[in-house]
Amino acid sequence: MSAALGIARRELGATFDSAVAYVQIAGFGLLANALFLNEFFLAQRLELDAYFDALPLLFAVFLPALAMRTWAEERKHRTVELLLTLPIGTTSAVLGKYLAQLVLLGVLLATALPLVAMLFALGEPDAARIATGFAGAFCAGALMLALGGLCSALTKDQVVAFVLATVVCLLLVLTGREEVVGVLDGLAPDLAAGSFLYERVSILPHMERWARGRVALDLVAYAALGSAVLVWGTARFLDANRD
Amino acid sequence: MIEVEHFTKRYGRDTAVEDFSATIAPGEIVGFLGPNGAGKSTLLKSIATWSDPTSGRIVVDGHDTTKAPLAVRRVLGYLPEHNPLYEAMNVTAFLRFVARTRKIAGARLAERMDWVVRACSLEGVMKKRINQCSKGYRQRIGLAAALIHDPRAILLDEPTHGLDPVQVAAFRDFLFELKEGRAILFSSHVLAEVEAICDRVLVIHKGRLVRDARMDALRDEAREAGTTLEELVLGWVRDTPAAAAATASEVTA
Repeated sequence: MSAALGIARRELGATFDSAVAYVQIAGFGLLANALFLNEFFLAQRLELDAYFDALPLLFAVFLPALAMRTWAEERKHRTVELLLTLPIGTTSAVLGKYLAQLVLLGVLLATALPLVAMLFALGEPDAARIATGFAGAFCAGALMLALGGLCSALTKDQVVAFVLATVVCLLLVLTGREEVVGVLDGLAPDLAAGSFLYERVSILPHMERWARGRVALDLVAYAALGSAVLVWGTARFLDANRD
Repeated sequence: MIEVEHFTKRYGRDTAVEDFSATIAPGEIVGFLGPNGAGKSTLLKSIATWSDPTSGRIVVDGHDTTKAPLAVRRVLGYLPEHNPLYEAMNVTAFLRFVARTRKIAGARLAERMDWVVRACSLEGVMKKRINQCSKGYRQRIGLAAALIHDPRAILLDEPTHGLDPVQVAAFRDFLFELKEGRAILFSSHVLAEVEAICDRVLVIHKGRLVRDARMDALRDEAREAGTTLEELVLGWVRDTPAAAAATASEVTA
């Protein structure tokens, strides 16, 4: 575990050493907060629901951007050979990078703290509902980052990794929208693919439930198991593709 | 210390190295000589546990590279070809990262940092980012990272690539200092370099070991054959006139 933490520290150092991370974090914060404030002034309710409603699509674009360099850059510059001939297991190395990504996810969500402070300054919002909203967003984000890490390992090109991860993340989100479910079910009524994806695959219904304060541990299990499988898969792919 | 037994590495239908066996003992500097594409890096990568052999086995300090890769990596210092480094890091942070990954901390970290900085003459660049360092310094940074844990076996893949003649001479002296108690294998396609540094040479051509001999024995052999060492070695790695012409430009004196 100490090796993974060492890798995580290096990753965070490298990330915050580059202007790109600051631009990504600032861009995410500005966009998410602006979308919320627009809804907030229209609805005038002391809740963060509009923020959490905007998150899935923002995550589907910003998290692949955060994750795209994780392994693609290492493979392109061949530093992966340096890293994976140090006395650390491949899974530990992948886990270390993933931990660094989770810290970044926390930083992204922390950009909403001024909104939380504003709600509490204005009245007495439902603190538990806000907390479950953040917890649900963190779980879903963690899964998308693990997916982004795997996509980054599949290619040496960061742009390809980004596009691939964004497409898959969008599928995870959009298959939770009723209009998409309707179209997919309509295309092949016997298969009911839309309903199947909505119930078994999409992350959106889970996020929506947690954002409304309805805690169900199936999201935690989905995110934890999914992330573990993706981290493991990333490590196995890297091991199988040493050239 | 390093034992390679019937090592074969294939990539699909292509055979990179076939049935290669050699042993490198502590206290030996062994040159691994061959033209580009002969299979030198392929073998070094497998000794370093980067890739597994297709068949055969490699044992480093008693540890099998496929069964106990982490144990091998702990005793091995490896400078890969092209010397990949984390360009955006400063030199101190990079070496500390490598040291910590190798579980070197506290007083030992300070001691080892001092040693590699002095041994690799990095005093002037420790606060610089790696991408601001010259090619020569970058090679020395890679070497420092490979040596920071005081390894008993050292693999250097084309370590003098990009160094000027003064730096090559300094590197040669440095390897002599390191030699005591350590097995050192370094690859090169420059015969003069191998001749100046090594006790023994392994010549590889088209993935096969064509000669494993001590340098002094090779010099005697060349003298007896009435030829130069360069011609003698070229004779082992050329097969046709066309190939010889191509090889001659790659294996240089």
